[in-house]
This record gives sequence, structure tokens and C-alpha cells, in this order.
Amino acid sequence: MSDLNRESLRDIYKDWGLFGRILGYLKPYGFLVTAVIVILFVVSLLNLAGPYLTKIVIDDHIRPSKMEGVDRIALLYLAVLLASFGGQFLQTYLIQFIGQKVMFDLRTQVFAHLHKMSFSFFDRNPIGKVVTRVVNDVEVLNEMLTSGLILIFNDLFTLAGIFCIMFYLDWRLTGVVCLVFPFLYWATQAYRVRARDALRKNRAHVSGLNTFLEENLAGMSTVQMFGREEAHYERFLSIHREKLHEDLRSLQYNALYVPSIDLFNSVGVGLVIWFGGGRFVQEEIQLGVLVAFLQYLQKFFDPVRDMAEKFNIIQTAMVSSERIFELLDTPEEIANPPAPLPVRSVKGEVEFEKVWFAYTDERWVLKDISFSIREGESLAIVGATGSGKSTLINTLCRFYDIQKGAIRIDGMPIQQMRKEDLRRNLALVQQDVYLFSGNVLDNIRLGNRNLGIEEVETIAQAVNSHQFIDRLPYKYEHEIREGGESLSMGQRQLLSFARALAADPRILILDEATSSVDTETEIQIQSAMRQLIQGRTSLIIAHRLSTLKHVDKVLVLKNGEIAEYGTQKELLAKKGIFHKLHSLQAQSHI
Amino acid sequence: MSWNHLRFFVSYLIKYRIGVGLGILALLLTDFAGLAVPWILKEFVDFLPRSPSQIDLLGFAGLLFAAASIQATGRFGWRKYLFGSSRRVEFDILNRVFGHFLILDRPFFQRLRIGDLMSRATNDLRAVRDFMGLGLLILVDSAVVISACFILMTVINPSLAFWVLLPLPLVSILFFSYVETISRRHREVQEHLSVITERVRENIAGIRVLHSFVQEEHEKEKFRELCREYIIRNLRVTRLFGVFTPALVFTIGISGLISLWIGGRAVIEGSMTLGDFVAFNGYLMQLSWPMMGVGYIINLSQRGLVAVSRIDEILSAEPVIRDRAGAVDPGTLEGGIEFRDVSFTYPAAASPSLIGIDLRVNPGQKLAVTGLIGSGKSTLALLIPRLYEVEEGAILVDGRPVTDYPLERLRRDIGYVEQNPFLFSATLRENIALERPDATREEIDEVIENAGLVPDLARFPEGLDTVVGERGVSLSGGQKQRVALARALIKKPRILILDDAFSSLDAETEEIILKRIHTQVRGITTLIITHRLPVVRDADQIIVLDRGTIMERGTHDELMRVGGLYARTCRNQALAREMEITLQ
Repeated sequence: MSDLNRESLRDIYKDWGLFGRILGYLKPYGFLVTAVIVILFVVSLLNLAGPYLTKIVIDDHIRPSKMEGVDRIALLYLAVLLASFGGQFLQTYLIQFIGQKVMFDLRTQVFAHLHKMSFSFFDRNPIGKVVTRVVNDVEVLNEMLTSGLILIFNDLFTLAGIFCIMFYLDWRLTGVVCLVFPFLYWATQAYRVRARDALRKNRAHVSGLNTFLEENLAGMSTVQMFGREEAHYERFLSIHREKLHEDLRSLQYNALYVPSIDLFNSVGVGLVIWFGGGRFVQEEIQLGVLVAFLQYLQKFFDPVRDMAEKFNIIQTAMVSSERIFELLDTPEEIANPPAPLPVRSVKGEVEFEKVWFAYTDERWVLKDISFSIREGESLAIVGATGSGKSTLINTLCRFYDIQKGAIRIDGMPIQQMRKEDLRRNLALVQQDVYLFSGNVLDNIRLGNRNLGIEEVETIAQAVNSHQFIDRLPYKYEHEIREGGESLSMGQRQLLSFARALAADPRILILDEATSSVDTETEIQIQSAMRQLIQGRTSLIIAHRLSTLKHVDKVLVLKNGEIAEYGTQKELLAKKGIFHKLHSLQAQSHI
Repeated sequence: MSWNHLRFFVSYLIKYRIGVGLGILALLLTDFAGLAVPWILKEFVDFLPRSPSQIDLLGFAGLLFAAASIQATGRFGWRKYLFGSSRRVEFDILNRVFGHFLILDRPFFQRLRIGDLMSRATNDLRAVRDFMGLGLLILVDSAVVISACFILMTVINPSLAFWVLLPLPLVSILFFSYVETISRRHREVQEHLSVITERVRENIAGIRVLHSFVQEEHEKEKFRELCREYIIRNLRVTRLFGVFTPALVFTIGISGLISLWIGGRAVIEGSMTLGDFVAFNGYLMQLSWPMMGVGYIINLSQRGLVAVSRIDEILSAEPVIRDRAGAVDPGTLEGGIEFRDVSFTYPAAASPSLIGIDLRVNPGQKLAVTGLIGSGKSTLALLIPRLYEVEEGAILVDGRPVTDYPLERLRRDIGYVEQNPFLFSATLRENIALERPDATREEIDEVIENAGLVPDLARFPEGLDTVVGERGVSLSGGQKQRVALARALIKKPRILILDDAFSSLDAETEEIILKRIHTQVRGITTLIITHRLPVVRDADQIIVLDRGTIMERGTHDELMRVGGLYARTCRNQALAREMEITLQ
């Protein structure tokens, strides 16, 4: 028990921190929130006016048997009803409005933050998990704001209001009712600690369940081909059972706690009947007061019960908010410099000077790499698998930051540019092409939305894509499904060329696809590539001998170090690796 | 709000009839005890002027406490049983949905996206649960309390009850005019949330491209646009409910006013006791919650029914590909494959992917398939283990149409390795022993050896127990492909389909692996789809596909003599290989 208490103290501390942060999101809507609270206050007052008016009618009119004045009270009652109607509508609408706005802010903030995350973040975090943060967790938080947090004011006002009225009606009776409170407090504490534990565990299971579900949906063909249906169903069931167990546990606590409030309520009412009835007999108290008091007392416990229900919503939301904030607190690993150099359009000189890079610790993937490319020159990078070719490109795009040395474009270190400025001047054509759902047209003009259809067609023609696009049922308007499944590898590659050409960068980086396309396309791709590098500074990871023919300089990487580097002429004279490659190439033309 | 969707609920209600029954019973108990309270208070108020003794007062207090105790017990009961049942129903439905996912086929998963399916399995399911738990509770509660209050009020004072209850039909008018609109607007909200989910998913999946093309701002703007639309749709629902619930409260208030007006007069005229008046008002006040409940129920049931229809769309989806009635399992396959005039068009595709394919591969033979972009190579492979169903012509395995086999047999004896294999976030061992979790150490070692994974495993500190990140992100492309091969080999398949399965490996390694498979796994029929022709020189048969038809066919030597596309490609590739060797 004491363990549970200590645990809960720390949690409470943390919860208040989270709570404060969530409240921070309400700040921009401070005026609206204040308005809602005022309206809530008024509405709860109006709702409390009913029994009080009844009391006045009983004590001042019915008991003394005089009806004059009742019509005024009735009119007042009607006014109260109308005001309450308007107030409630405004309250519901405003609360939802604020909730939706906050959800919008939070969701777009999380989304924007995701775009600041480095690639290693996405390597570490499954897609399903991240999607849950942006969609479901934010949704839960909204529920807490709209049906929890703001309405709690309603409960608090009602509670305070009733207490004041009861105190005003008869402070002695109120004192008697107060006898119940310590027990109520004790029950509440006991409930909270346990319910929190169960709810938290439950959320963890929910998250595990969703991850499993997502993974299985994505890999369904594999599951089926390997006949794993039953085994995976069993696994799913076992995770799901644990979730159900916690579900039922928190339900059990709730089922015990909420009715206990009724008992406290009835003890209170009983005490008032016994004690108050006695005082009526002794004529210390009017009948109307006693009736009104009993009516208020019955209402008094409604907000308490209500808050217990909200506790569930809020607890669930706490876990969600914790996870959202955890994501938002993940620092941006590769940040823009505080005072970036102004970059508009670069000429395209690229320089690596004594560059060292390691993904982790000191396991260097690039060692002391130096080379330079002048404007419009092309450089082929060759090397065996794992020699550091892709890493070299990643550092140039600043997907990762180098540890030592400098990378410069037009003499400016890339770390001193805004990432966006840097990347706007680069176009990267990757081996595995990712296509977005949308039509062909939008996929091509990804980097340059202003292009018209004619321009896009010209571009597609230049990189040999027009032919196959023209054969698609809706041509440029053809909808590409998720991941571009309906297109072949080669077609996707050609599309990515068109995409790069449409961005019209000064510097082109091309990771040549290895062997996923056939020879015919190969020829198309080769000619498209020549078009693409025309007049641009280009870095090409070359997997084809024929590619080497068309470049100005060649860099041979071996285990992260430069083995050979120079113009074709220089390297041929050297009679090293490049020379061998070149003679292979010559043979092929026999 | 069709009958079908209600039937969906009813079937689960029947399944949990005991829990639900107990819950409803407890709820009735709660309601009746709750209704007794104003009655006791009425008696108390009427009794007061007769100067009750301490004992009498204690009696009233005790009576009240007893009623409250019953009420509390009932409350516990319905919470535990009604809500408990709704959790179990949720549990059952999700299990059923997951179970159904497992039997659905590729055409289905191509139609509905993962983000959308996830949204149905989580958000929509929650709506269903709320309807089953809260909805049922409020439905019963409202019905009981409303009718009991009507009756009791009528018993106390029939004419007063008539006047007081007169404004209430307003509620039903409100009810019917809103139902339709509300359901439509709810659906719009839920559909839009699916769109948002899908957008986020795609953004993350394609984040590398988006960043290299500096599309962050554009994507953020598009996302903001979606979220703005979401606000609008949500507020449309709010506007309706914002009116609905206060209108109910207002109606009750009007009744209260009438009661005060007419009832007060009646007390003064002496046709009604003060106690009756207090009780009458007490019951009227008890009506306000169930009346609000009516609004809540509409909300819950609309959401619930929309959600059910979305879940039902999954559950009622029939897999096209399944065991034909009377499919007999003939035991382990021998491995002969035959295509008889097979043509195939993908669902929703404009042109056929395969046209009139005739092909015969004897058990133990090696068939190589190569060809141009989109020529139908992968399609040909997908049809053999029935990942898609052939509509024209027939595919035979060991002389029997594939449709005559139970799916399980085909899939057990056919190993299929894709270019982009899907790995599970589990250990390497679990991924390799996917089909046979009971595989022995020796069996695993053997397939690791055959898949050429031994040197890679040596580099992982935890060896086979290394956990692969989601979809194998922590492995290189070549490693993923070989893990996929290993997990196919451990099935001891009779037919092995390698669909460009080694594209991320160098040619040398590919050749070594292929050789090893053929020497180690005797009599296995292999179908290799590749662009690397040198590695399939020794195939028994090589076919070159072009736009769905077989353009060249023969052995390596025959095709080289013909001097067509195959011969040309082959020569180019031999060269590329030399290059690789030089660089090593």
C-alpha cells in the first residue's frame, strides 16, 4: 500500500507537469476559455435556481396560501430557462470549438515536428507508432479537453455553489453533512491509485496491440504464404487478453467506487432527515428550507460522481499527452544554424575537405575524404558495397552531420546554410523510388509545383518517361496507388528522373539503381541520365561501366577511403583500378 | 440504420445474454430504488407536520439508506456486467476482424489502405463499444425512468401529469428531424479522420523524398488544410448537438414551470398535499437526465451504426481466393508446373498482364524468367501460389489445377521470395523460423548456411537473437533478401520462386547461393525471375517475356544462338560483372 502511495506521489507530480503543459495549449484561446468558464458559471447558477425558486413558492406562497406573486416567479423561471438554453448551446459550441482548435494546433505541431526529425529517428520508430501519436493520441487529448478538463469547472462551480447555498440555508445541517467527507476522500484516494495503475497498463497493451495489428496488415501476404495465420492469431489473442484483463480491472475499480458515492450520499441524506427532522419538530427550521436542503444535497454528489467518470478520461489522456510530448521533446538532431548564410541560387561548386564521418562512435565510415567538383562538372563515385558511397551522399544532403572536416558549396560550409536552402539546390535521385499517392503529374512536379502540364510533358520526354506515361489509362492524370505498386521498377526510376529534372537543381546527386531494371530500360535510363546531368554539377554513384564514359572525374572509394581520384585522363595514366575498369569497358565495344 | 447493422449488435447481445441480462436487472434495481427515494421523501414531508418522534425520523433515515444501498449495489452490478459485456464484445469483434484479415486476399488489401483499416479497427471499434455499453445502458435507463416517472406522476395527480407532460412530444419531433443529418455528419467526420491517418502514414513512409525535395512546408500546408476541414466537419456535428441537448433541458424546464403553476394552485386549493407536490417535482427532475440521455443515445447510436457499417465492410468482404469445396490434399507436391493458355488482368487494370501463356516445367527443373519492364514476370509468379486467381486458362501443379488444391498445401510446398520481403519486428531466428517455430538448431543452421547468412550473423553481436527493426529497417537490403530466402528454405519447399530475390546482392554471391540451393535441396523445382542473366545460364529453360507474352524460349545456348534480346543483354551483363570484380 505504501509503495503504491509513493508511486502515486511521483506520478501526481508528473501529471501536474503534463497538466500544466496541456493548459498551455489553451493559452491562445484565453479569452474564449474565460468566456466558457463564465458561461459555465452562469449556467450552473441558472440550473441551481430551479429548486430555490421552488422553495420560495412553497414557503412564501403555497404554505401561506397566497398565489399573488407566483406569476412573477414563474416568469423569472421562464427567463432562467431561456437563458440556460442559450448558455448551454454557447457552452457546448465554444468548448468544442476550443477543443478542435487546440487539437488542430497540437496535431499540426506534431506533424511539423516530425518533419524536423532526422532519418535515424524514423529508423528507430515504427510507422504505426508515429501515426498513432499524430492521430489517435491527439484525438484522445481532444476528448479530455472537451468532455473533461473544461467541464470540470462546471462540476467545481456546481459543487461550490451547492455548498454555499446549503451553508446559507442552514449551516448546522451543512456541518452534519460534512461528516461524510473524510470517508469520501479516503475512498477517492484508494480508487485513484489503483485505477491509474490499471489504466496505464491498459494503454501500454493498446499500443502493443495496434503495433502488432499494423505490422500484420502490412505483411499479410507473408503471413499467408507462410501459413502463420493461426500462430499470429494466437499471438494477437494473447496480447488482446492482457488488454482485456486491465480493461476489466479498471472497470471493476470504477464499478466499486462510483456506487460508493451513492452510499455516502444517502448517509448524508439520512443524517439530514434525522437531524433536520428533529430540528423541524422543535421548530428551529422551516419546512421549505428542509425540502430545499434535501434537494440540493441530492444534487451535491452528482458533480463528484461526474468527476470520477472524468478521471478515467483524464488518465487516458495523460498517457496520450505524455507520449505526444515525448515526441515533441525529441530534439532536432540536425538543426538550422542560428544565423544562416543567405543562399539563393548556387553556382554548383562542391568541395569536400578532409571529411570524417561515423554513424556511431568512432567507427568511421568516411575517412579523410577530400575532393572538389567545379560548376557543371560530373563526378562518378565507384566502390564496392559498404565502401561508403551512399554515406558520402547523405552527408552532402545533410541528412547526417559530419564529425570532422568541411563540406562546402560555392565555398560556403553547408552547416552554415539553412537545410532547406541547401536541399533546394540539390536533387537526389535514390535507388529505391518512393511515389506518393496522387497522380503522375503531381509526383513529377513534387519539387516544383508551378509547372504546367506542357512543361511536365517536355520534361518527361527528355527523360524517356513520356512514352509509358502516355500508355497509362489516364496518362498524366493517372492515379498512383500507395508506393506506386502499379508501376514497374524501371518506370518508377524514370519517373524519379523526371521528378529531379522538374526540380531543375544546380547540383544533381544520383544513386544509380543496381540491377532492378532490364536492358531495354537500362538504355532508356542511360540516355535519360545523360540528359539529366547536362549542364549540372553531378555526383553519380555508378554501378555501370557505361556510366563512367560520360563523366569528367572519377572517385574510387575503398573502405571509406579514397583509393583513386582524378580526371579520366589522370586515372588512366595511373594504371590502377580505374584503368582496369576502362579496359573492361573498351572490350565491351568489340 | 439498416436492420443488418442492428442484427450485428443483437448477435453479440445474445452471446453475452447472461452478463447483459444481469446488467439490465441490476439497472432496473438501481432505477426502482432511485424512484423510491422521492416517494420516501414525500412520505417524510407529509409526516413532518405530525411531529414525528426520533424513532420515526430514524426510520425514514434508515429507509432512505436501505434504498440507497440497493441503488449502490445495482449501480455496481450494471457497471460490472453491462460495461464488462461491452468490453468483451469489443474483444470479440476485434478478434473476429483480425481473424478475418488473416483470410482476406491481396485484392482486398489493395483496395483498402492500411491507415484506413487501422482506423476502423481502433476508432470505429471504440464507437461500437460505447454504443454497446453506454448506449444500451442509457437506452434501458431512459426507458425505465421515463415510463416509471410518467406512471408515478400520473398516480400522484393525473391532470397535473397530463399538463406537465404535454411539452414532451416536442422531443420526439426534434429527434426525428435530426437523426438523418446527424448520421451523415458523423460519417463525414469518421471518413475524414481516415484520410488524415493515411496522409500521416504516407508522409512518414516517404519522408526521405519529401525532405530531399524540400517539401516540408508544402506538406505541412496540405496537412493543415486537412485538419481545418476536420474542424469544420466536427463543428457541424456540434452545432446539431449544441441545440439538441439544451432543447431537451429546456423542455423539462417548461414542464417544471407548468408544475409549479398548476401544482402550486392545487396545493393551495387543497386538492393536492404538499408531499405529493414535492414528490411530483422530484420525479419531474429525475426526468431531465434520461431526456438528455435520449440525445446522447442518438449520438452514440449514430456513431455506433456508422462504425458498425465500416467494420462490417471488412467482415463481409469475401476473399476471392479460398479453398474450393471438395479440394483434396494429395500430400506433398512433386513440383511440376504447367501453364495452359493463361491470361490475366489485374482487378481495375485496363490491359491484361499476361496473354495466352503456355509453359511446362518438370519436377526438379529450373526455369528462368526474364523480360522487359512490366512484361508480366512477377504476375506469372504470383499466380502459382494463388496470390491472385487466374480467370482464363489454367495453371496446373503436378497435373492438377491449382484451384483444386487446398491453399495450405500450395503455400506450404511453394517457397516464394520477393524482391522487397516483409520481415517482422522480431528476432532473426523468429523471422527465419517463421513457418516452423519448432525448427531445430541444425535446421536453422543449415538454411542460414544455404542462404549465405553466416558471415552477416557473425557481425551481429547477438547473432540469431538480434531483433530486426520494424519491417527489417536495421538490416541491409541484401540481408533482408537472404533472411527471406532462409525462411522460405526452412519450409523445405518443393517449388521455389525467386522473384528478383537477390537484386541487392552482388552477382557472385547470388550465383553461389543459387548453386548451393540446387546441390543441397534435391529435386526442387525453381522458378527464377531475374535480370541477371549470367546466373541462370544453366537453367533448363529460359523464357523472355514481353508485354505478357513469351517472346523467346529455350536454353542458354539456344537463345545465344538466336541472338535476340537475351543474347544482347547477356553480353552487356557479363561486362558489368567484371567491373564489380575489379572494384572489390
